[in-house]
Amino acid sequence: MIRRILQHDWRVLRADATVWVVGGVFATAIGYAMANGVRWTTFQRNALHAASAEEIDRYATIHAQIGVLERTGTPVAAFGDPRNPTQFGSRFGPRYAMLPPAPLAALAIGQSDLQPYYFKVSTDARETLTTATEIENPQRLLVGRFDLAFVIIFLYPLLILAVTHNLLSGEKEQGTLALAASQPVSLRTLATGKVLLRALLLVGIVVGFSSVALLANGVGLTAPGAALRFALWLAAVAAYGAFWFALALFVSSFGRSSATNATVLATAWLMLVVLLPSLFNLVATTLYPVPSRVEMIQAVRVASDEATSAGSTLLARYYEDHPELATGGAEQAMNDFNIIRVAVDEDVSRRARPVVDRYEQQLTRQQTLIDRLRFLSPAVLMQDALNDVAGTGAARHRHFLEQVDRFHAAWRGFIVPLIVQRARVTSLDQVPSFTFREESPASMAGRVVIAMAGLIVPALCVAWAGVRRLRHYPIVG
Amino acid sequence: MISRVARKELLEILRDGRFRVLSIAVLAVSLLSLAVGWKQYTDVAKQHQQAQAATRAQWLNQTKKNPHSAAHYGVYAFKPKSPLAIVDTGIDPYMGVAVWLEAHKQNEFKYRPAQDRTAVQRFGEMTAAETLQVLVPLFIVLMTFGTLAAERERGTLRQLLSLGVKSRDLALGKAAGIAIALGMVLVPAAVLGVMSLALTSDGGFLASSPTRAAWLVASYLAYFAIVAAICLGVSARARSSRLALVVLLTFWFANTVVASRVVADVASWLHPTPSAVEFQKAMDADLNDQQEMQRRLDRRKAELMRQYNANSIDAVPVAFSGVSLQEGEDHGNEVFDEHYGRLFDIYDRQNTIYQLGGFAAPMLAMRAISMGLSGTDFHQHRDFITAAEAYRRQIQRTMNADIMAHPVRGGAAYLAGRELWERVPEFQYDAPATGWVLRNTRWSFAILAAWLVVAIGWMMRPLPRAAI
Repeated sequence: MIRRILQHDWRVLRADATVWVVGGVFATAIGYAMANGVRWTTFQRNALHAASAEEIDRYATIHAQIGVLERTGTPVAAFGDPRNPTQFGSRFGPRYAMLPPAPLAALAIGQSDLQPYYFKVSTDARETLTTATEIENPQRLLVGRFDLAFVIIFLYPLLILAVTHNLLSGEKEQGTLALAASQPVSLRTLATGKVLLRALLLVGIVVGFSSVALLANGVGLTAPGAALRFALWLAAVAAYGAFWFALALFVSSFGRSSATNATVLATAWLMLVVLLPSLFNLVATTLYPVPSRVEMIQAVRVASDEATSAGSTLLARYYEDHPELATGGAEQAMNDFNIIRVAVDEDVSRRARPVVDRYEQQLTRQQTLIDRLRFLSPAVLMQDALNDVAGTGAARHRHFLEQVDRFHAAWRGFIVPLIVQRARVTSLDQVPSFTFREESPASMAGRVVIAMAGLIVPALCVAWAGVRRLRHYPIVG
Repeated sequence: MISRVARKELLEILRDGRFRVLSIAVLAVSLLSLAVGWKQYTDVAKQHQQAQAATRAQWLNQTKKNPHSAAHYGVYAFKPKSPLAIVDTGIDPYMGVAVWLEAHKQNEFKYRPAQDRTAVQRFGEMTAAETLQVLVPLFIVLMTFGTLAAERERGTLRQLLSLGVKSRDLALGKAAGIAIALGMVLVPAAVLGVMSLALTSDGGFLASSPTRAAWLVASYLAYFAIVAAICLGVSARARSSRLALVVLLTFWFANTVVASRVVADVASWLHPTPSAVEFQKAMDADLNDQQEMQRRLDRRKAELMRQYNANSIDAVPVAFSGVSLQEGEDHGNEVFDEHYGRLFDIYDRQNTIYQLGGFAAPMLAMRAISMGLSGTDFHQHRDFITAAEAYRRQIQRTMNADIMAHPVRGGAAYLAGRELWERVPEFQYDAPATGWVLRNTRWSFAILAAWLVVAIGWMMRPLPRAAI
C-alpha cells in the first residue's frame, strides 16, 4: 500500500512547482557552499604548505651556516650564531606545529576561521604563542560563512517545511482527503507514505548533490578516516531531517489549515534555529563571563617584572629543581644572562598559570553549560555534529592545543639543557619536530552519535505523538 | 482619512493576540540584550581603564636603565570601549583588545574575545543591534503581511476603494497605524537604552555620543520604515495573504541571514587577503633588507660629519648608536606603513563592498551605519591602531633622541631614569568626531535613503486593477 501511496504522491508532487523550486534552490545553495568550503580548506592547506616550505628553507640555511662555522671556526657574535642555543631556540630554529584540515573539512568551516591552526613554537613562554591567528576581515568573521553546514542547519529545515506544511491539510483543502480516506487505507499509512516520500526526496537531494559537489571539488573519500566521517555526516543529515519531518507530521496532526501549519512551523524554526542558540550564548557568557584578556596581559607583565628583578635568586632555585643541570661553575653561571632568562621564563609561566587557567576554566564552564542546553535546540546539536565530522569543532582543536603544549615542553626540554650546559646546537638531527596525531575516530564518532541521539529521540517521540493524534484527525470540517 | 485608517489599523493590531505575544517577546529580548550589553560594557571599560593606568605606572616606575631597554620594555595600549557598544558590539569580539608597543616592531592587536567563547556564538550574538536588525523586521513582517491581502480576501478592500478612499491614503494610514503599534514596543526600549547610556557615561557620553545616538535612532527608524513599506506593498499586491507571507519571509531570510554571507564571499573573492604566513614572510624580507639599512646609515653618517665639520664619525658629538636605532625605526616604520597599509586597504575595499551590498539587502547598509555610529567598525579600529602606532613611534623617538644626546666613551653604559620616562606623555585617545563617521558610512546612508524613497514610493503607487 505504502508503495502505491508513494507512486501516486510522487506523480502529484512532480506536477507541483514547489518541489522543483525547492530542488533548484537546494542544488544551487549546496554547490555554492561546497565551492566555498573547498576554497577555505585550500587556502588553509596552502598557508600550511607555505609555512613548512619556509621552515625547510630556514633549516637548509642554518644547516649550511653551521657547517661553515664548524669547519672554519670563524668567531661570530652570539646574536648571529645559530649554534647558540638561546638564539636557536627563539630566532633561528622555531618549528611549526600545524593542524592540517581533516579530510572532510570543507563540509563545515566551523571555528576553523577563528582559531589558530598553526603555531611557531619557540622557547618563548607558551602564553605568547597562543595568539597566532589567520588574517581575516573581522566583519567576515562576524557574519559567518556560507558553508554546507549553514545550508543544512538553516536552509534544509525551511525547505522541509515548504514541502510538508500542507501534508494532509493540502488534500483536505482540495477536498481529496475525504476521497482518499474512503478507500481501504488508514490515515496513518497515508500520512506515513507522504512523509516518507518527501523525506526520501529531500534527504536524497542533500546527499546526492553534496556527494557530487564533494567529488567535483576533488575531495576524496580515500583519505584515512574519510569514509567513516562521510557515513556519520550522512547519518547526521538524516537525523536532523527526521526531526523536522517528525515535527511537521506532529503539527499536521492537529488538523489546522495549511496557512496555520506554515506559521507554526516557521515560528518553531525561528525559535529553535535562530533565537535559542543566541540565547544559549547569552546565558553562557553572562553566567560564566570570560574576563577581558587585559587582566592576563597585566598579570604576565607583573610576573615577568618580578621575575626579572629576582633573576639571580630564581637561578639558585632553578638549580635546586634541576640539580642535574648544575655544572659546578654555578657562580660563573649566575652572570649568564641566558640562564637567568630561562629561569625567568619558567617563573613567569608558573606565576601566570593560575590566571591563564581561570580563562580556560570559565570557557570550560561555558562549554559544559552549552553541552547540556544544546539538547533543547536541534540546530546547536547539528552544529556540534557537523563540526565534529568536519574536524573544525572545539574538541579537535583542544586535542591540537594539547599536542602544541607537549611539543612546546619538548622544545624547551631540548633547548634549555643546552643553554644551561653552555653547549651548542651542532647537528639538526636531534631537534624535535611536530607531527599532528589525529584524535581517535572512536571518540569523534562517540560525540557525533550522542548529538544524533539528541536529534533522533525527540524525533521519534514527536512522530509517535503525531501518529497517535492522527486518530482524531478531522477529515471533514 | 489617513488618521481614520490609522486608528482602525491600530485598534485591530492591539486586539490581535499575535501582537501581544510578539510585542512582549520583542520588548523582552530588546531589554535583555541592552542589559547584557550594559553589563559587558561596564565590566570591560573598567578593566581597560585600570589596565591603562597600570601600564602607565609600570612605565614610570622602571628602574634606571638604558633608554633602549626601556623602549624594549614598552607599554601596552588597551582599546577603550565606545559607550554605544552597548547597542552594537560590531567587530569588537573579533578584534584583539590590546597591543604591545615596543621597539622595532609594530605588533598586532592580540586576544580576540571571540576566541574565548564557544561555537554557538556563530549563530549570532543577541545584541540590541541584532535584535533591531533581525528580529524587529521579522516582527514587522508577521504583523503586516495580511494587512491589505486579508482585506482583499474578505472583500473589504473593494468596498473601501469604492467609497473613494485613495489606495495611497489607505497605505499611508495603515503604515501610520503599524508605526504607532511598533512605537509602543520600541519607544520604551529606546528610552531605557538612552538611560543606560547616560548611566555609564563618565562625561564621555554627554560630550560626543548624543549626536551619534540621534543619528542611530533616525537610521533605525528609516530601516523600519523601509521594511514596513515593503511589507505593505507586497501585502497589497500578493494574490493571497499566504503568498504575501511566503514572499516576505523569503525577503527577511535573504536580507538578514543570507545576504551578508554572500556579500562577504564576493568581497573576499574580489579582494583576497594574504595568509598570515605570506604576510609575515614578505614583511620580514623588507625589514631585514640590510642593503637599505646600510644606505640609510651611510647617508646619516655623511650628513652628521658634514654638519659638525668632522672627518670621522667618532668626532661627532652625538651617540651614533642612537642615530642608528632611530634609522632602524624609520626604516621599519616605512615597511610597516607599506605592509599594514596594504592589508588594511584590502579590508577597507572589502568593507566598501559590504556597504554596496546594501543595494541588494538594506540590512547591510543598516549594519554599516549601526557599527559606524556605535564606534565598533573597522574604520574606527584602524583609527585606534594608527593612534597607538603613532604613540609607539613617539616613545621610540624620545628614547633614541636621549641616547643620541648622551654619547659615552670607552664602553661605559648610559643609564636614564624617571625624568626621561616622564618625558613620554600619557597615551590619550579621543574617538573620532561624528562627521568623520558619517563620511565613512556615506554609501550606506545614501543606499538607505534610496531604499526609503523607492520602498515608500512603491507602496503608495496606485494598485493595479487586477490586485483589487
